[in-house]
Amino acid sequence: MGASSITPDQMREQRSSRELARKGSQALAVRSAALIRRGLRDLARDSNWLVRKVFHGPVSHAALSPDGQVCTLLPQIRTGAHSLTLFDIDRCVATLTLGTATDPDEAELPTPFAWSPDGRYLLRARGTRASELQLFDLHAKVLAGAFGDFAHLPSDVAWSASGKFAASASRGWSASLDLWQMQTPPVPGRAVATRVQLLRTPEWLDLQSTDGESNEAGAFSGYGHLAFSPNEQFLAVSVEIGGEWADDLIGFLDAATLEKKSVFEAQGRVTDLAWSNDGQRLVYCSAGQAYGIDPLSAECTSLPFGGEQCAWHPHLPVCLFYSSLLKSSAKGRLFLADMNRITVFDEYPADGVLDLRWSADGSKAYAITNDGLAYIYEPELL
Amino acid sequence: MARKTIETDAAPSSPPTPAKVAAQPSLKPEEMELLRKRDEQKAVENELAERELRVTNLRAELGAFERQYLHLVGLRYAELDEYKAQLAERLAAEQPDNARAQQAAREARARANETKAGAGEKSDHTPHAFKASPEMKRIYRDVAKRIHPDLTSNREDRATRQQLMARANEAYERGDETALTNILTEYESSPEAFHGEGPAAELVRVIRRISQVRGRLAEIEAESQAMLRSDLYQLRLRVDEAAQDGRDVLKEMVRKTDEQIAEAKRRLAENRR
Repeated sequence: MGASSITPDQMREQRSSRELARKGSQALAVRSAALIRRGLRDLARDSNWLVRKVFHGPVSHAALSPDGQVCTLLPQIRTGAHSLTLFDIDRCVATLTLGTATDPDEAELPTPFAWSPDGRYLLRARGTRASELQLFDLHAKVLAGAFGDFAHLPSDVAWSASGKFAASASRGWSASLDLWQMQTPPVPGRAVATRVQLLRTPEWLDLQSTDGESNEAGAFSGYGHLAFSPNEQFLAVSVEIGGEWADDLIGFLDAATLEKKSVFEAQGRVTDLAWSNDGQRLVYCSAGQAYGIDPLSAECTSLPFGGEQCAWHPHLPVCLFYSSLLKSSAKGRLFLADMNRITVFDEYPADGVLDLRWSADGSKAYAITNDGLAYIYEPELL
Repeated sequence: MARKTIETDAAPSSPPTPAKVAAQPSLKPEEMELLRKRDEQKAVENELAERELRVTNLRAELGAFERQYLHLVGLRYAELDEYKAQLAERLAAEQPDNARAQQAAREARARANETKAGAGEKSDHTPHAFKASPEMKRIYRDVAKRIHPDLTSNREDRATRQQLMARANEAYERGDETALTNILTEYESSPEAFHGEGPAAELVRVIRRISQVRGRLAEIEAESQAMLRSDLYQLRLRVDEAAQDGRDVLKEMVRKTDEQIAEAKRRLAENRR
């Protein structure tokens, strides 16, 4: 045996001696690791908001998933072609890039995206002339299929809470509101979606626009924002009316038949819609102001704060808003409102926000801006 | 029969220096090499004792800080998470058809259980920060130089040293000087402390010990780096830095968490009404 060699027995003994010497403190460290990280995290911030640079913009559209991801169209360094890129917000890293044949003009357009409730699928409207909807399976990392045929790029897409249905809205001379039954997971050889309802110019629109105050409204120009109620009974849709001073309408439709349940006149152009967690109320933002509607009692109230985008907490009466105009400041702000007391209880300055989203468990809220900044709201009590 | 020498594993109390080696021309080459190697052994053993002291000190300081943190902040996190779980469960009970609320309640309960397990049991006294006295450090250095398991190649002796070194580390972390001194005395009086069979065998032993000590030094370095990179060390660093500015960060965290606990209690009470 060489002079400097150590037998396996000796090596084992050496190892066991170290384990013996440090057993106590190591066990403690493993058990408390999460609490140590939590303490560090709490020390690293002086508010409930974290700000992270996720990607370099500017981009015209980005969408947040319920599991802390954001997708956007970004130009590739080598080719200059735009690719659909996914980022993990907490880790600030790109997790997936899907090369998609993109019309160069398309990157400038507001491309609607919609994440499925479980974060596995992504719907995207694409095409500048003949447009379609694309379904990406992000687990399989593939474009699962395309469906629909639109004369204009759809203005919005939305999933139902169960993920079984999706709706798309479009504007223009062939404006339509389409209800799709989704085939997820996709089955080879079968269409990824089947249209189950189609609504063109709603027949109830004439009735609505001929009564009283609506006379000033111009012609129907298409459908805008969409939101399924949590129980999937209703589909709320903004009906856009042409004309600089025209007010949009908000229609509450039966989510299975697209038949009208009730219609409200909004104040100006509707920029976002969100259902309450219990499905009893809807908040919407139009002309920089936030409003609340109770579809059953037909009561519409102006909320005491501005807002252009909104996202309701999945199981609390709390709504996250974004307003690009903060009083006495050029900055915009993100803020949280207690929707029972109708009071703002937390806020943070932010600009250029493109999308808002709550995590599926409601413990965090995300906002993403056009230059790739993510704002993460992670309060202790939610 | 070779003369039985009474030698210890440690180097002689007054090791020959290179000058001494050069001044003894009558020595055989292996004896000269042995003297040089003993010199080298002495140097690495001193370094080992010093490094072992530092890493044990760091481990003890972090362990004490961790216990203090868990006692002050961890237990409060556990209390807060318990109230949050109760709130989530109440909301879930109010909305039995809301799958997300049910899921959130389950997750909140799992998080509360996890935090409770991590924070450990509540004790009546606050653990103190670790601070070794100069005398403790001196005794520990002596112990490490004398009984470190990597300073022997004898299998049985190593087993004895492993046990004693583990006890020495525990005694050091407890700050128990008497126990540390007793461990040294216990080893000094044991038969394993006496052996040796002439220069050739001794040279082999010394070379092996140097190699073992260098291996242990590399391990200590890796362990120290891992501890310095750990979240626990980063947290302690933040606390220490703030202390230099006159801030007690742990106290601030306690105050903030107490406020959150009070808010959670208020919400629970409101919800009950």
